[in-house]
Amino acid sequence: MRAIRAIAANTFREAIRDRILYLFVGFALALVVSTKLFGMLTVGDEAKIVKDIGLASIQFFSMLIAVMMSMLLVSREVDSRTVFIILAKPVRRWQFLVGKYLGLVAIVAANLVFITLVLAVMVLAYTGQWDPMLFFAAAMTLLEMLVLAAFAILFAVLTRPILGSLMTLAVFVVGHTSAELWLLTRQLPGTLTRGLVAVVYYLIPNLERFNFRTEVVHGLPIPPAAVGWAVVYAIAFAAVALVLAALRFRSKDLR
Amino acid sequence: MRRGLATAAVVVALLGVAVGAELRLGRVQRADPLGRELLYLPSPEVLKVVSVGNPGLAADIFYMWSIQYYSLFEPHERFLYLEPVYNLITDLDPLYFDAYRIGALIMQIQTGGDQRQLQETVQRLFDKGLANLPTSWELAEAAAWDMYMRFRDRRQALRYAEVAAARAGAPARIKRMVGVWRDSEKVWTADDSIAYWRQAVEEAVDAYDRKMSLSKLYDAVAARDRETLDPVLGYLREDLGRCPASWDEVVRRGALVSVPLDYVGNPYGIDPERCELVPLKKISDQ
Repeated sequence: MRAIRAIAANTFREAIRDRILYLFVGFALALVVSTKLFGMLTVGDEAKIVKDIGLASIQFFSMLIAVMMSMLLVSREVDSRTVFIILAKPVRRWQFLVGKYLGLVAIVAANLVFITLVLAVMVLAYTGQWDPMLFFAAAMTLLEMLVLAAFAILFAVLTRPILGSLMTLAVFVVGHTSAELWLLTRQLPGTLTRGLVAVVYYLIPNLERFNFRTEVVHGLPIPPAAVGWAVVYAIAFAAVALVLAALRFRSKDLR
Repeated sequence: MRRGLATAAVVVALLGVAVGAELRLGRVQRADPLGRELLYLPSPEVLKVVSVGNPGLAADIFYMWSIQYYSLFEPHERFLYLEPVYNLITDLDPLYFDAYRIGALIMQIQTGGDQRQLQETVQRLFDKGLANLPTSWELAEAAAWDMYMRFRDRRQALRYAEVAAARAGAPARIKRMVGVWRDSEKVWTADDSIAYWRQAVEEAVDAYDRKMSLSKLYDAVAARDRETLDPVLGYLREDLGRCPASWDEVVRRGALVSVPLDYVGNPYGIDPERCELVPLKKISDQ
């Protein structure tokens, strides 16, 4: 456990010094702050536009941070051979991966909190109301990133960084559209075909399960069960991806 | 230093060329028989997929675009596309109040063309909004006023006002509006009207509401009394060759057993020229 904590802390420190992180955070902040400009283009409820754009920016840039950083953090260690120094110590390979993952999640969470705080202040400035539900939406985005970062780590172990990034992006896109697969099962003829599509559906993380942005923006009620099961779903899917990554990393030739 | 300046000059010059080319391109007239700007209006299903979990944001973008695109208030065929545009926005975000309200307002800008068809289009957007926002009395009230003011369709206005009044949280003024419009449209009997206004008085939320409802109750009672008493006055005018001078005279001549009193117990007056009942309406809150 100490080894994982040390690697996670080190990963966090390493990531926070990375210029690419500041690039993404800078873009996200610029977009969140500029929501007022978008609000000026509308007639009616500016706060809706500010929240919609703000929350979408948070999701998009968190995804970019999770995808890019996870790829860089693993591949850098391998390319620069520092992974050998770490693994020469009493650290197991799976501990190395989990440490990297937790460090990455910590950096994504820190950025999420920071950008959401800026968004909440923007909303407060425009509407005069503090909206704590924005933090709830961000927390659910963090769950989504938990899953996505795990897949990014898996692809980082399986393949080269660029291909891995593309594959993680594909998981992000497909994950948000996988509900269509479920609809397809109702349309398809034959139990076998429907069963196959259903299997594919369950193998792909349905990232829409973590999307509560509409509820937050429109102030709709949120069923506690939807939140509770989303937490379980995220942890389970992330664990699956990490276990697969650890299995592959155990036998991977790092030379 | 000199090299840096030269590089900067080249960059500036190239930027100038790009900006100049863009300006020239903007002036080039190109054939646009199908209205390129609106030719590719994607389906909401596609946009939901493309927005990766942010259909609300996609709705915002189209909404803001529509505000800019339709803010030149001049009749143009592009207004024909308004319904698909706002259907798209409200399919992406069915809870988007502004899209229904402002969409309907923009649709109403058109003064030419088939106004009946236009009204139906506006109503479709409102009806969609009312179905998707079942707690919004504001949208129903907006629809009522649009029908009343813009299309002069009092029946439809009344229909939307009734929807607004039936929704939780609707202010008392909407309930009074329904009563007034039902009275003016004569869609109910005098007794229905009295019963409605009596209930409104009983359920008044504040002194002002009670005062206004009481006034309408008085009018409803007077309207019912007029229905029965005006024929009596008419009969006597035929008989006497002039209008009776007072209700006492009507009683003296045996047409009534007592002087008719208004809702608050005061005697009615008589308009000598038209020979009709005149409510004096001196209401004090009881």
